Amino acid sequence: MARLIRTEKEVEGRFEEVWIVVEEDPLEQWPAGPLAVVGRPAPRQDAPERVRGEARYTADIKLPGMLHAAVLRSPHAHAHVRRIDLAPALTLPGVRAAVGPGEAHGLEEEAGFSGAPVAAVAADTLAQAQAAVEAVDVEWEELEVVVDPDEAVKRGLLRDEPRRRERGDVERALAGADVVVETTYRTQTVLHNSLETHQAVCEWQGDTLHVYISTQFIWGIRQAVSETLGLPEDKVRVVCEFMGGGFGSKNGPDEYTYVAAELAKRTGRAVRCALTRREEHTSAGNRNATIQRLRAGARSDGTIVALVGEFTNSVGWSGWNASTEGPMWMLYDCENVRTVTYGAQLNTPPMKAFRAPGFVEGTFGLECLIDELAARLDVDPLELRRRNYAGSNEGTPYSSKNLEECYRRAEPHWERRHEAHARSDAVWKRGVGMASQIWYGGGGPPSYAWVRLGSDGRATVITAMQDIGTGTRTAMAQIAAEELRLPLENVEVVLGDSARGPYASISAGSSTTPSMGPAVRAAAADAREQVEDIAEQRGLPRDAPVEEVVSLLEESQILGKGARGPNPSGMSVLTFGVHVVEVAVDVETGEVVVERVAAIHDVGRIVNPLGASSQVEGGIIQGIGHTLSEERLLDPETGRVLTTSLDAYRMPTIADVPEIVCEFVDRPDEHLTNLGSKGLGEPPIVPIAAAIANAVRDATGADVHELPISREEMLRALREAEQQAREKEKRGAPATV
Amino acid sequence: MSELRLTINGGEHVLDVPVGTSLADVLREELELTGTKIACNEGHCGACTVQVDGVPRLSCITLAHTVEGEVTTIEGLREHPLVEAFVRADAVQCGFCTPGQVVSAAALVAARPEPTRDEIRHAMAGNICRCGTYPKIEEAILTWQD
Amino acid sequence: MELLRPSSVAELDGGSFVHGGTEVVPLLREGLLQAQRLVDVRGVVPRGVRDGVVGAGTTLAQLEVEPAIPEALREACRLASSPQLRNMGSLGGNLLQATRCWYWRLGYDCRLHGGDRCHAREGEHREHAIFANDFCASAHPSDVAAALVALGARLRTNRRELAVEDLYRLPDEADRRTTTLEDGELLLEVELPPVDASTYLKAMDRKRWSFPQVGVAVARQADGSTRIALAGVAPVPWLIESVEELETATPLPRTEWKVPLAQALVRRALAALA
Repeated sequence: MARLIRTEKEVEGRFEEVWIVVEEDPLEQWPAGPLAVVGRPAPRQDAPERVRGEARYTADIKLPGMLHAAVLRSPHAHAHVRRIDLAPALTLPGVRAAVGPGEAHGLEEEAGFSGAPVAAVAADTLAQAQAAVEAVDVEWEELEVVVDPDEAVKRGLLRDEPRRRERGDVERALAGADVVVETTYRTQTVLHNSLETHQAVCEWQGDTLHVYISTQFIWGIRQAVSETLGLPEDKVRVVCEFMGGGFGSKNGPDEYTYVAAELAKRTGRAVRCALTRREEHTSAGNRNATIQRLRAGARSDGTIVALVGEFTNSVGWSGWNASTEGPMWMLYDCENVRTVTYGAQLNTPPMKAFRAPGFVEGTFGLECLIDELAARLDVDPLELRRRNYAGSNEGTPYSSKNLEECYRRAEPHWERRHEAHARSDAVWKRGVGMASQIWYGGGGPPSYAWVRLGSDGRATVITAMQDIGTGTRTAMAQIAAEELRLPLENVEVVLGDSARGPYASISAGSSTTPSMGPAVRAAAADAREQVEDIAEQRGLPRDAPVEEVVSLLEESQILGKGARGPNPSGMSVLTFGVHVVEVAVDVETGEVVVERVAAIHDVGRIVNPLGASSQVEGGIIQGIGHTLSEERLLDPETGRVLTTSLDAYRMPTIADVPEIVCEFVDRPDEHLTNLGSKGLGEPPIVPIAAAIANAVRDATGADVHELPISREEMLRALREAEQQAREKEKRGAPATV
Repeated sequence: MSELRLTINGGEHVLDVPVGTSLADVLREELELTGTKIACNEGHCGACTVQVDGVPRLSCITLAHTVEGEVTTIEGLREHPLVEAFVRADAVQCGFCTPGQVVSAAALVAARPEPTRDEIRHAMAGNICRCGTYPKIEEAILTWQD
Repeated sequence: MELLRPSSVAELDGGSFVHGGTEVVPLLREGLLQAQRLVDVRGVVPRGVRDGVVGAGTTLAQLEVEPAIPEALREACRLASSPQLRNMGSLGGNLLQATRCWYWRLGYDCRLHGGDRCHAREGEHREHAIFANDFCASAHPSDVAAALVALGARLRTNRRELAVEDLYRLPDEADRRTTTLEDGELLLEVELPPVDASTYLKAMDRKRWSFPQVGVAVARQADGSTRIALAGVAPVPWLIESVEELETATPLPRTEWKVPLAQALVRRALAALA
């Protein structure tokens, strides 16, 4: 029965109260461990077309008569359009239409960052459109530019009210602490850099707008576009069958979608609006930089008594103030916690969610701080984490938590540090570091799926979700095959089109599998029950092979439908994990090499161990880029992005990959849905930076507290450690470095 | 416009495109061979990799009129055993870089049928995968003959 | 735009030379180079290695596995850019590549572009120069150039012969160019004098596909003397006499880290030859 409830919905660590209709989820969970199909490694069903270059991405959509749009972007970090003249553009060859500020959603007269969209032109070719954009005549009034986050906080230039929280009595706890450590950590701005840039193709057919878009949320696009353009939702069709990466940056439509829609309307033609790589670097979002001023107090027995944090997120011109303080509140059992989080509004490109926004940055600060505390207390870092193990989420019980099991499995990897130290020499210092992971990833309703079963014993799962490259299409097929007791190759998944299937979850916040999987299983179970009824009528046992039961049906089909049930009420659904990292540091040249990463994650039931290991490896490698080599740089004077190309913005290559050992606790969350699975997209990127930094400290004794740990930062930290050792020696204390 | 003669995947093509047009644009826009992807369009990422006479090149910064020799794109490598090896090893996530990876890998294994890990890492370093599929790509190339 | 394909030096008649296209094509697209006439010089420039002479049209990919050239050059080629770019890029083109300075690449009105200030000096310069950076702080990105300077290589163009280091000049108020190549002058061959031993060490911020943070080429000449040349430390490839000379570097605030890095690499390179 459908039930209307008021519930808290979480996406990317942001909560909102919503009304939703939930359906009961009466199915018993499957037993733990590998089943016939679920829990067994399966190559991706859509891998052949992706590998062979047959998969059609938004970038490959070519509609008859399609025009190309280019966007005029502000060269100034803060400026107002005093006057704009599109006429010179309109006279150029091939140009069909142009729009200025206010004429398409997202094109604005006030440019708050360099790269802000102002106007757009559609032409027969992209080159013509780009030439026309150059010809648009704009008179700018330049305004004051603020790019320094501390200055913005001081002047009250904030995206929202400072977020202040306190539990317990921090000051008293610090006064009574045996040891207090205090450090400032900084993280840099990094770019998503999906290889398929942000883009959409829009076409009007009658009064229906067809939107082909590289997106993580088909239904979010439909809702936002219909609302912005004043269309009924069913007059917007959104298509995304194959998608070339998003990492959080493609959760909504942006100016390129509205530009394409408006120019398509004006020209009566299909219009593509695709960002170039350089626009991707200036105008498509980023993981914002942070400054984290942290303190921790502990008793000599290792009990953490106080955690204090002042966090500044360099949010940019727009975007939101992510929960950088989250790990400090949730990871450890600490009675006294106080945080304040500022979201600095700057004349810099806006942040967007990027794979566990806030928690990646906050975990770097907190887990480095915990290791500094362990060093001061002379307590083993793993032991210190265990001593402060959280038994509940601020009083709310967990739906499941196996972090202790992760720690247990981390032990043999952690033990390798003695052997790693022994392999150090005068130049290459080796060390091992660890960090814990906490993050969301429980998904939630609503999400729906249909299952269609034919007399040939082949089933099709139909749902208008998207597979953004995580392999969820295959996971859905596995779940349906398991429930229908069919071989995996008998199950297809149709997705990627709002006109061809029911509402489906966003693919962000590690939510696709935990949101969609239970709906797919419910739909398959609905179909299976119908098959069992037919079996009974045929005089077969209820559990007779499905293929045998349906073989008589000819053109008849069995149609099953399923919905995602509610999350357990009164419980916190969270993911957990541990990374243990081995590094080698060249103390003369500052080179840091990540040699080995052991990743142990607790995300409930694993549906496809093969695809899951790819998610973990991918998160770790992206995190290594964040930790060691990636940084978006701005010109401090103009606020313009300097690293606009991929030779200057350096992501890891295959040569940078360490040995990666990937383990899953793989215990179904018994309180979470009929599946017991949580999401895995984000957890692997959460702890890696801190684990690397802690390994660097273990190897060298040098405190790195800034990302990226470039040679500059590494050499600085080594020099500082040397000076401290010398001073200690002067004072007569034995050197520790 | 200027005449352009190309041999692509064994077929002859005669086209008329402006001097300055990139090979990638010719493949994708003129010939609709969209397996070759453009991700940076300035020679930095490897998504557009094609072979010319068996040698991997970046089609996005190759002027089409300067191409001498036979062009092989992913469409010409669809039956290569590497395709099955990539599928088996799960060496594909979003898949946007994958055709370029296969084109580079095919040139590598043609020259060295049993490459070492170090050789793979040296030869494949110009193909950026933002999803971080690298361990599985390495695995696929190590096991391509299985 | 027109494309010419001369087959001999005699046919050369103006235009912008293009060989592998790895530098020229992106510069054309970004508007940093304007050309109505492109000249594909692959039919003119010699290729291959013969008796210590390397054709300027030889690709870096060919050189990275070429046993007949000194280690420093081979290693500089092996560690340069990406596999595809090494397949495309020629030795001559590599020597003529422009700086990676982001201000220059983004078309800021900097001194190299004829303007009156170096934006990097006041701005973001962590990848920039530690020597000769007063007028322009750009860093020379060519691994190969440093190797050839250390090896004492000589160049033959269609007009003259010169030492590799004489191909380069520091930009100044009167002349903003960083090479001495004249209009219409084309690199044809590189002559490598015999050396006893040589090596090239390169610091990058990822293991492959990175321009040199610092590159160090060291070669012991037949007469027993040693030449040390650096990439990534000055607007041109930079010759130093000894590791001590690095103490005279004039780093900017955010390039100080390059000094100890260069010192470590030079010491290592010298030790490797000892």
